[in-house]
Amino acid sequence: MSTGIIDSSARICSANGALDPGELLRLMDEWSIARAVVAPSDEMVAVYNEEGNRRIAEIVRAHPNRLSGLAVANPWYGANAAQMLEAALGGGLVGLYLHPGLQGFHLTDDIVNPLIQTCIAYEKPIYSHTGTPVCAMPFQMAELARRHPDAVFIMGHAGWSDFCLYDVVPACRQAPNIVVETSCAFASAIGRFVQEIGVDRVIFGTGYPRSRHRFEVNKMRGLDLTEEVYRQVMGDNAARLWGIGG
Amino acid sequence: MRIIDAHTHRPGSLLGAPPRPIGELRREFEQDGLSGAWIATTDGLIRDTNRHNDLLAEDLRDHLDFFVPFCTVDPHQGAEAAIRELERCRKELGMRGLKLHSWLQAFSISNPAVVPILRRAGELRMPVLFHDGTPPYSTPLQVAAAAEQAPETTVILGHAGLDDLYRDAILACLRHPSIYLCLCSVSSGYIQEIIGRCPADRLLFGSDGGFGPGLVPSAADKILAVCEDQATLNRIFHENAEAILPVANRRSAW
Repeated sequence: MSTGIIDSSARICSANGALDPGELLRLMDEWSIARAVVAPSDEMVAVYNEEGNRRIAEIVRAHPNRLSGLAVANPWYGANAAQMLEAALGGGLVGLYLHPGLQGFHLTDDIVNPLIQTCIAYEKPIYSHTGTPVCAMPFQMAELARRHPDAVFIMGHAGWSDFCLYDVVPACRQAPNIVVETSCAFASAIGRFVQEIGVDRVIFGTGYPRSRHRFEVNKMRGLDLTEEVYRQVMGDNAARLWGIGG
Repeated sequence: MRIIDAHTHRPGSLLGAPPRPIGELRREFEQDGLSGAWIATTDGLIRDTNRHNDLLAEDLRDHLDFFVPFCTVDPHQGAEAAIRELERCRKELGMRGLKLHSWLQAFSISNPAVVPILRRAGELRMPVLFHDGTPPYSTPLQVAAAAEQAPETTVILGHAGLDDLYRDAILACLRHPSIYLCLCSVSSGYIQEIIGRCPADRLLFGSDGGFGPGLVPSAADKILAVCEDQATLNRIFHENAEAILPVANRRSAW
């Protein structure tokens, strides 16, 4: 049974200190997206992690049938980061959101290891922004994933912009515990991901607000995918990965 | 102490360095204390690849007791053509290593032509010296991914990741026994960490000499500032390079 479309890559931006999911929910309705996995953005990713987690949890509780939430924890907070993450995952958030560029670390740095161990303990996936040199590149994610074979990693934005056509496929071959998220990536690259990485390792995302629903949904509709593959990529894989319903 | 520089360039027009006679460059290197140098083209990395292989080979004809020539190939020509040029350089020109500079040559190391080139280089016993440390096309882990597919080939990260990615270079070195790090253009503090974490028998001295004056002594000073262990210094400055490719006073036999 299909879960409907699941967007595995959406951020809710802060405006005047508030997180408002209203525009995202409107776009989800417009583009028939059943559920979005949301993370906070900007200062809540970099610095105010606890506040970001609290607000995302509140939003998810207010829209339990439409939204699931990711926790943030800047690895530079050390033991406090792991504690914040434990609290957030224990409170119902479905995974960890990393942004090495905003948070100031390399995916290969050891400081992220305690967060990965926490996710392994809670059996939750790790979504990371990728595509930003020098800290968030596909082979760096592969190195991290090889170091933690029991964790599941999501390669956010598929290495966009400089890496999606070349590095993503060989990086994913190095580490079978990486799943690729499609937002921002070239349409032609996504077809290659499905063929060469495997249909069960590709998940749809809008990348909102960096990208837009109209572009991302139409991009996927324009791919030469069978109905079965389309259904898997657009929702079923994500539902299984995040442990959520449609 | 003998010093073999594993990373130099024949002066070319790139970066405004004026073309210079190779004998003049050799005298400068000898005055800087070098006993030998691995050398690659500069201009051939941006145009007329095959012609610049010929020019380098011709230039070095009377200097093979000092220089170890590295050719280059253009992966954009496809694996077959690039390998043909590699074989020509080895068998006809007597060149002994391969230099690839994916930033200047504008190819991704994940380009499908690269792994077959590396494998053939290994069969020809030619080490492959990569420029590295410069995203998006020249990162240590990109090189490592290709090296993993050609495990019999000696692969050298020509800049040990530079300052932004030296820790990725360390990871690449630790994961892959075929990968060497050339301590060229990395800052002293990072060189100290590299020496502390990587096997000493897989570190090389390099300077980018040929691009401009003073590069050789500057590169040596960076290492000497952070390492006093003579056995380690011997390995870095000459033993490892000589183990990979000894300087010869004649063309090496095919």
